[in-house]
Amino acid sequence: MELRRFIFRRLIQIFVIFFVILTVLFLLFRLAPGDPISRMIDPDMTTEDAERLREQLGLDEPLWVQYVYYVRNFFTGEFGTSFHYGQPVVKIIWDRLPNTVLLFTSSIILSAFVGVFLGKIASWHKGGKIDSVLTIGALVTHTVFLPWLALILIWVFAYKLAWFPITGMVSEEVWLDPEAGIVAKALDVFHHMALPLCTLFLIHFGAYLLIMRSSMLETLKEDYILTARAKGLEERVIRNRHAAPNAALPVVTSIGLSLAFSINGGALTETVFTWPGIGRELVFSVSHNDYPLAQASFLLIAIVVLLSNLVVDVLYAYLDPRIRY
Amino acid sequence: MLCALLVTGWILFAAGPAPAAHYLKIGLLEEPKTLNIWLAGDTWSRKVLSQIYQPLYLRDPETLRFVPWLAAEAPILDQKELCYTVKLRPAKWSDGTALTSRDVAFTARLIQEFKIPRYISKWRFVKRIETPDSRTVKFYLSKPKAIFLTRTLATPIVQESQWRSVADDAAKAEKPLKRLLKYEVKQPVGSGPFVLKEWRQGAYLFLRKNPHFFAQGKSIAGMKLGPFIDGLIFKIFGTSDAAVLALKKGSVDMFWWGIQPGYLEDLRSNTDIRLFSSEKSALYYMGLNLRRPPFNDLHLRRAVATLIDKNFIISRILQGYGAKMHSMVPPGNRFYYCDEVRRYGDGLDRTARVRRAYEILKQAGYRWETPPVDEAGRVVEPSWLLAPDGRPVPKFSILTPPADYDPNRAMCGMIIQEWLRALGMPASAKPMAFGSLIQQVKVRRDFDAFILAYGNLSLDPDYLRSFFHSRNDRVRGRNTSGYHNPEFDRVADAASSQMDRDKRRALVCDLQKMLNRDLPWIPLYNPNLIEAVRRGKVKGWVQMLGGIGNLWSFCRLKPL
Repeated sequence: MELRRFIFRRLIQIFVIFFVILTVLFLLFRLAPGDPISRMIDPDMTTEDAERLREQLGLDEPLWVQYVYYVRNFFTGEFGTSFHYGQPVVKIIWDRLPNTVLLFTSSIILSAFVGVFLGKIASWHKGGKIDSVLTIGALVTHTVFLPWLALILIWVFAYKLAWFPITGMVSEEVWLDPEAGIVAKALDVFHHMALPLCTLFLIHFGAYLLIMRSSMLETLKEDYILTARAKGLEERVIRNRHAAPNAALPVVTSIGLSLAFSINGGALTETVFTWPGIGRELVFSVSHNDYPLAQASFLLIAIVVLLSNLVVDVLYAYLDPRIRY
Repeated sequence: MLCALLVTGWILFAAGPAPAAHYLKIGLLEEPKTLNIWLAGDTWSRKVLSQIYQPLYLRDPETLRFVPWLAAEAPILDQKELCYTVKLRPAKWSDGTALTSRDVAFTARLIQEFKIPRYISKWRFVKRIETPDSRTVKFYLSKPKAIFLTRTLATPIVQESQWRSVADDAAKAEKPLKRLLKYEVKQPVGSGPFVLKEWRQGAYLFLRKNPHFFAQGKSIAGMKLGPFIDGLIFKIFGTSDAAVLALKKGSVDMFWWGIQPGYLEDLRSNTDIRLFSSEKSALYYMGLNLRRPPFNDLHLRRAVATLIDKNFIISRILQGYGAKMHSMVPPGNRFYYCDEVRRYGDGLDRTARVRRAYEILKQAGYRWETPPVDEAGRVVEPSWLLAPDGRPVPKFSILTPPADYDPNRAMCGMIIQEWLRALGMPASAKPMAFGSLIQQVKVRRDFDAFILAYGNLSLDPDYLRSFFHSRNDRVRGRNTSGYHNPEFDRVADAASSQMDRDKRRALVCDLQKMLNRDLPWIPLYNPNLIEAVRRGKVKGWVQMLGGIGNLWSFCRLKPL
């Protein structure tokens, strides 16, 4: 019952925060310098024609009128039409979302598993060679500049060794081949996914490793670990059954939030690898003042992040019986 | 999972690419945004659509004069009625139906009815269109308009049967134009050499050869046309780095975008790559605000123009890949370019420039406590410049795009700042975000000087009127400098309605001289367009103003 009340209270908070985000996003894009139609006009277009275009896009209305339309449209599920694509932004986002989720969710799950596993090992060998190698390795890969790492991987594995495609998500050779079946097409997508996935994995696993390591080190000092040892349990059992599940709580928070942020993709990763996801659209829409597309993309991120926070809070109570709301 | 991916990589690597027909693979830097020709404003959509929708007339790559394309012959003028008659070639749409005069008239009426922003200025003065038969179109003009021959007749023609119902639906909407622009064209029906086969968003766009292309096997502008290749595959690359690597690796045969100087050395040493350097119809210029001091004074503007060393800009900043500009019309526009304009400080070394600029300002009453040229004629470091009224010349900024947007323009701003300071002018270069720069210049009009560019100017010089007519000095107007010259306005209006090519040329030359005399903008340079293709796949590239990526090339390329 208390949990239900907690969720209800949080939902109200989420609604208020969301409304604030809705307003801030609207103002942010309108007040930022730049003109949405500046990239849609050419030297031959008269000023009157440019103004007409502005009027058709609804940009000639006073700011407060635009805001009223914006809020009304949002609550009626009408997110608007992209200035440049001429398509409903929901359709554009819906088309790109699976690509981003596929890449980023895979990378987060993979890096979380490997990070947690290696973090556990590192903490268990605290101060030893394995700990040093893993910790230093994690720090190096976590702090490396992503575009640089991505370009190096492309240069070595795609250009020099030619094992993988340079960029993109599919090959036209496979997808235009009428004889190519679903397996060949799926393999083709995995083939293209390898380098961006490796890049994201190398960047992210270190963070999970370091969080898990430090959490494990704290947990290993707890009395119940001493009790377990005193009971004569095997070290492997103490590590995997007693310490690791408790130490994993901070990692769960981190994974939850990462999964939420994964829907915005990574502007850099998606741009360097020409991965057709939300991240690239975000960059495009912001740089081209495509307000409807930019607003809808950011709102989607906001909704998922807010709801993920709620899910993580609830999950905490499930994972740790001591936590009650 | 990672192992599975690596294994997949190995499997596909071992299998190698499937054998392709004679497709030309073209790298693009961004994905086309739409196939709706009325909405398409981005370069990438227009590159693709130029292969699908065709105009009545097209520029000859050699002479740059218009040659009949969908039209069968040059337009015939009836002076009395001010009516142009255009005869059409026998042509078909990509769906096999005949392209008729009704399609041409429909296209024109659609533009006029919906006032389509990108096209309406070219059609506003066409008062009536008649189609006496399926191959004849008569255009009645309300007044003589030179751009009719150069811009109006170059409008891409759309198929009536594809657009009729769309237009009828849109006309009923509250915002008809918005509805028309929103229409999603999934399968454009065109009359060009290629037709859309498949667009896999985010990955590639495949155009196959149009079996109904009207010019197939014909000779136009002295060239026998194909296409001789089976299709075009446009592949998307998010960065130039990736696109250049793909070109070197052979994943694409052409990168349809200018190659930046940083890649040239590497590409030049690669025997599989061929580079083309072409002139562009571009104008990179320094705009000055004539509405307020210090640039409301012509003498100061002339001194600034004298101090700018364009040779240095070309050789050092552009690394030799560009040409100096003295007129607002690029030299590549050979017919309208006026070679008789004044060339401020051209051929002088830095010291001589300072001396000449010093003379200009001194004669206009400007003073210094320590002049930049001493009594012995040596150039020395001056004190700040004092205006003729004895007050210091106010500090001014030269706004430029930031270096990550265009390093060349940012660098030009910095170097011009130094040259102006050599004469005691309190100049400072100020790189700023492109959007802010446009806002500052076009909307707020709160600036002293700026460096901007037009990368792809039309070959019709009517843009001079647009940029400098006093009527356009208003918020969001094109006359950013606030140039007011009744003589210019009169000649520009006369040039705009002069249908005789040679007479118009003389008027346009006068306009260039006036602008060069009054200097609302100082033309700086016109960078070359460097394009890269792979050798050994196709031959027959047609190089023209604006590069090798043109319709003529794609109709002429033959597989090797």
